[in-house]
Amino acid sequence: MNSVERVTAAIRLQETDRVPVIAQVFGHAAALAGVPLADYVRDGATLARCQLAALHRYRYDAVFAVMDVSVETEAVGSVLRYPRDQYPTIDRYALAANADWDGRPVPDPARAGRMPEMLQALATLRRELGDDTLVVGCILGPFTLATQLLGLENALYLAIDDPARLARLLDFATEVVIRFGRAQLQAGAHLPVVFDPSASPAVVPPGFFREFELPRLQRVFAALAESGAAANWLHIAGPVAPILPYYATAGVNLANFDYPVKAAEAISRLPVTCCDGNIKSLLFVEGRPAEIESAAATLLSAFRERRGFVLSSGCEIPPEARPENIAALVRAVGAS
Amino acid sequence: MQPLGAALLAGDTSAALVQAGQLGAGGVSARQIVLGGIEPAMAALDAKCTLEQFNLLEIMLAGRAVTEVMKLLYPAGSAAAPTKGTVLVVALEGDVHDLGKNILKMVLTGSSYRVVDCGKDCPLPRLLDTAAREQPIAIAISGLITPIIPQVRQVRDLLALRGLSRIKVLAGGAALKQSAPDRLNVDFVAETAFDALHYLEANAGGGP
Repeated sequence: MNSVERVTAAIRLQETDRVPVIAQVFGHAAALAGVPLADYVRDGATLARCQLAALHRYRYDAVFAVMDVSVETEAVGSVLRYPRDQYPTIDRYALAANADWDGRPVPDPARAGRMPEMLQALATLRRELGDDTLVVGCILGPFTLATQLLGLENALYLAIDDPARLARLLDFATEVVIRFGRAQLQAGAHLPVVFDPSASPAVVPPGFFREFELPRLQRVFAALAESGAAANWLHIAGPVAPILPYYATAGVNLANFDYPVKAAEAISRLPVTCCDGNIKSLLFVEGRPAEIESAAATLLSAFRERRGFVLSSGCEIPPEARPENIAALVRAVGAS
Repeated sequence: MQPLGAALLAGDTSAALVQAGQLGAGGVSARQIVLGGIEPAMAALDAKCTLEQFNLLEIMLAGRAVTEVMKLLYPAGSAAAPTKGTVLVVALEGDVHDLGKNILKMVLTGSSYRVVDCGKDCPLPRLLDTAAREQPIAIAISGLITPIIPQVRQVRDLLALRGLSRIKVLAGGAALKQSAPDRLNVDFVAETAFDALHYLEANAGGGP
């Protein structure tokens, strides 16, 4: 089996030659290549080159054209700052809380901000890897994009003070990410992962997720599936157990779960959905290979009977992670 | 006091201000409103927010209401609010995410601590100068990103160099809470803002 076959079989809960392993290596690929993060997240060719080098070194099952969580908001009009060795931060949000966002144009991924660079990275990765290794793009969940357009505090207060306006902003955000996701698939992504950290129960109650975000995630995943996505991958970090039962309704068939959720809990709440996770991200920085191997063994054992598992971290592996820890993750499935 | 507590818990700022205003007009002192209305409301919110059921939205709404009521009770320039001690809150240099810090500030303010906000992207020398000036019982560091960890590890040693070893150092936030006190060289790693509050009440001389 090649990586794409292995991951797609796991998503269908079918037998695989070994458990797929996807290290969530984004900016770490830049650190490994000695490239400043500020360059990595702004240049598609550099990103692709670093991802390919990291793949060559570690031999896991997927590469990522993931820049950061500010690509969409920058395309809409936010002003970013690019520290040399950190992910960009937002200096000025695209929208003010009292702004009128009805009728605002949806950015064109071929032209807006860094979107074209990300599409170029995807095209390069797919050209180099074909259908051997999974090529993953990235879009934000609608609520997370709303928080990136307004600022998290403003968006949360808006949810209470004027839910109808928030709903209209979420609809706009939904259109932005669907258009960007479709462009990524056309550029060569097998699928875009949908990052939605602001929809975590750590931030908003499950009822909010159900009422505001779930219907829009359904629209996003339906559009991606219709455009040929190999799978619908939802990535929400933190204590997501209360919202896992909604994932199937959303159309998710690959569900990331973070370290606060136990494997048994993920299995019971997602009985027929492939899961990926959930080694603590910081362990890749602070820990030792033996600790990674131990955590991986526990996970592999928990999912052995059921199948439908991709060994991974719970969230991004930080750029400053120790390479030997990522190598240990890959070794744990017998991949190297 | 019950209607004030209910309004605070519901995050209803307007109703909370009305209730606090009526209590004040009826002769209830600001201190009594804090001790009998705000603090019990924060305790109820604390009990409600378990590790499994903790979300920022609810805390922020209650925090916003508490902040506005405190401004009503203690307008700028008026007598100081009752305090269990001073706590510095900070996001260190390189970390521009301040929501976690702001949440902690709300929780501590509503629990009668005096909070000095050192801001986000704060260099260590500025934090230490502020600590020397304000003599807090604790410094609470909120961290969303892992690259600040080397700075976190230095804080306790730098405080000791200035003769400020008695100040407790707390860490929290999405990145830091994955670690442990010995790995971060801090006194306590908090899972949530209320977790930090409990530590202060029990260990930093901030208890009632």
